[in-house]
Amino acid sequence: MGSGNDSILDMYLYETNTLLEQLDGILLAAEEADTFSEDNVNEIFRIMHTIKGSSAMMEFNSLMTVAHRIEDMFFLVREKGMDVVPEQTRPDLFDMLFQAVDFFRSEIEKVENDEPLSQSIDHIVNKINSLIDKIQGNPAAPAADIPAAAESAPAESAAAEETSLPLADAVNQDYPYGIHVFFDEGSGMENLRAFMLLNGIKDYCGDFISYPDNVETDPSTTDVIADQGFLIWFRSPEDREMSLPAVKNGGSVREYQPVDAARPAPEAHAETHDSQAPSAPVSAEAPKAVAAPVSAAKPAPAPAPGQQHAKESLISVNLAKLDQLLAVVSEIVITESMVTSSPDLRGLRLDNFTKSARDLRKLTDDLQDVSMSLRMVPVSGTFQKMNRIVRDMSKKLGKRAKLTLIGEDTEVDKTIVDAIGDPIMHIVRNSMDHGLEERESDRIAAGKDPVGEVILSARHTGSEVIIEIKDDGQGVDTQAVLNKAIRQGLAAPDHEYSQKEILNFLMMPGFSTNTEVTEYSGRGVGMDVVKKNVADVGGTVSISSDWGKGMTTTLKIPLTMAIMDGMEVSVGDSMFTIPINSIQSSLKVNAGDVIHDPHQGEMVKIRDNFYPIIRAKELFCMEQGCDNIEDGILMWVESGEHSYCLFVDELLGEQQIVVKPLPSYINSFNVKNFGITGCSILGDGSISIILDVTNVYTAAHNIY
Amino acid sequence: MAKTNELMFATEAQIDEYTDQLPEIATEKYLIFSSDGLMYGIKAELVKDINTDYTITYLPKVPSYVRGVINLRGQIVPIVDIRLRLGKMPQDNFCCVVVNVDGNEVGILVDMVEQMVDVPLEAILPVPTSSGHAMVSGMCTLADGHTMLELDCELLLHD
Repeated sequence: MGSGNDSILDMYLYETNTLLEQLDGILLAAEEADTFSEDNVNEIFRIMHTIKGSSAMMEFNSLMTVAHRIEDMFFLVREKGMDVVPEQTRPDLFDMLFQAVDFFRSEIEKVENDEPLSQSIDHIVNKINSLIDKIQGNPAAPAADIPAAAESAPAESAAAEETSLPLADAVNQDYPYGIHVFFDEGSGMENLRAFMLLNGIKDYCGDFISYPDNVETDPSTTDVIADQGFLIWFRSPEDREMSLPAVKNGGSVREYQPVDAARPAPEAHAETHDSQAPSAPVSAEAPKAVAAPVSAAKPAPAPAPGQQHAKESLISVNLAKLDQLLAVVSEIVITESMVTSSPDLRGLRLDNFTKSARDLRKLTDDLQDVSMSLRMVPVSGTFQKMNRIVRDMSKKLGKRAKLTLIGEDTEVDKTIVDAIGDPIMHIVRNSMDHGLEERESDRIAAGKDPVGEVILSARHTGSEVIIEIKDDGQGVDTQAVLNKAIRQGLAAPDHEYSQKEILNFLMMPGFSTNTEVTEYSGRGVGMDVVKKNVADVGGTVSISSDWGKGMTTTLKIPLTMAIMDGMEVSVGDSMFTIPINSIQSSLKVNAGDVIHDPHQGEMVKIRDNFYPIIRAKELFCMEQGCDNIEDGILMWVESGEHSYCLFVDELLGEQQIVVKPLPSYINSFNVKNFGITGCSILGDGSISIILDVTNVYTAAHNIY
Repeated sequence: MAKTNELMFATEAQIDEYTDQLPEIATEKYLIFSSDGLMYGIKAELVKDINTDYTITYLPKVPSYVRGVINLRGQIVPIVDIRLRLGKMPQDNFCCVVVNVDGNEVGILVDMVEQMVDVPLEAILPVPTSSGHAMVSGMCTLADGHTMLELDCELLLHD
């Protein structure tokens, strides 16, 4: 792809991702209602149409083909209404659509990572085709349908074409209920695998036929099975039902699907052509004669649903530009206060100036608020994704569960939204996997609704956003956690731990209560990663649990990274900023309170615990500053597992500051390792150095 | 007019003739400053600002020649003392030349800014000894007889 296409590609990726997210939302809502409203159908049709068009333009053929087929299907649904989809095929329809969304997502990801697109779209196209057949009330794969697929994806569908024709012919009238089995791609010796599968089925049911039927003796069937899959036909749906476990557990089975044969097949074909062709352009698209009017009519309905939607009054802006804007605005705010509080004005009576200065202050405040709000995005996008996870997991784990979202429109800084997506997903998975009871009977016995509930809520409190993930499952077995912590050497066996301390073990690296490793959790890389990710954006995680009633994980996250509340302290002439959320308290001590250890280390006892003292002056090798512990002040700080007292000269006060990264030249001296993370410019134009409490501790530790 | 016409329809050979008539000397503007009795020059296009009114904020845990950072119109700019960098005795300097090196703005503390000069490129000669003055990429004799040392900003920042 040439570099000139990059902006087009960016556009394409952005647009497609947005559409897929929209589609996911529609599907989840529709599955809930078990039907598609007319609006939904139009919307999906429009989305597929757009994806098809733009993918074709970008020459992503696999995407285009799948989108095209789904568009065809929804064209049918749109023409005839949702009633055309039989009740029992609806779950298949939803599953197929979710699969398609996943397929699109994975392909888009490949495009983003510059990887080649997958070529094997047969199974998904086949699935769509078979659904279309069902919708048309024409269960056998009709011949007319195949050329349409072939037209859109000649290479892929060529195989499908061969498949369906002989398969349809092969159906024995007495065995109309089939299972279509695909083996893992490239598994080899498909005929023998098929033979073994047949042997397995014999354990459940003896009356069936297969296509190809002579798998054991004829090695040439290998290719047929690899290409078109393997078909087993039964006399009755009950037989088929009984045999499913054998297929499910068969070796190398990639996927299987039940198929129903046409009875009587030839008539169905005729019907397709005669009565359905005008109203079903999908199947009629291939015959050239019909194709002309249909394709002429086709573009017309597409823009129509688009118009129904209010024009989006949104534009997408590069995040870097917003950062730049925010930087300039914060400069204006600082400069404004430099002008209005200039020492040159001292002692002068300037009524007009003061009035204008007040107006200016108000406007700059507004400007700052607006520019900050530009970076704010609602958390709904992240929350909506959890819907999908809960749905998929509840299907997989066989636990019924619903997700309740509260406060989805709470707005948070864009960088923070990006950072908390994974942690939230992890916690939701934990709740689904270990939180909710294994069996519904346990829930009923505990007097709970058999359907589990996970509540995801977000709300603001001042400068923080609080995100809670709450489940009404069994809660945390604190005794089990403690036992495990002791086994892993994280806890001392003879110590009394409070419930809060025990729950904190859950967030220690390598801790997992689950004895089995499941697909979703139990690998022991879990809550510690969550904690780290949240800490990276300046937030904290806490867990509370009520045995038998469920657990709640609370994330407290600052609204934005660019602005934070800091405590200004001074050492000599220099000013330092300590993030407010890592400060426990400040205290004055007498020389007598300081306890010395043999290595000249100093400690102080606060509330029955000893904390080391780190002198900022010594750590930073500064010339000025207090040496006498009684002249200065101790800042008791805590971050992560470190808690200590930082000795500084003076406490200057709390201030909201704009964080500025250090110049890269300064960073090349690795000052970050000494806890110097950034600067901020104070109201009078002076610079304060922002300290990172964790790294200050590590640096001091390495020195002493 | 006649001449322009002539030029418009001049052949390639003739064009060479015309350009030869106006001998063009490639020059570059340099900012000359002094430090410890020596004259240094920096390409003027790299100079962003000359500042005498600033407060240096001390930054811990950096080499001593990095005196700290200043607030230059809301930007945090590190300050390098060229005397300390070259291993000379420090002195109270007030003049700070902010230069752009590879997109990073860095302030250099100098004794005094002298003048701006146009230096013909061919007048800049290589430094005779490699072990001579560090961080000097060329030398040039100025009209007033002084010798300008061209400062290599890259070397100033990175060893």
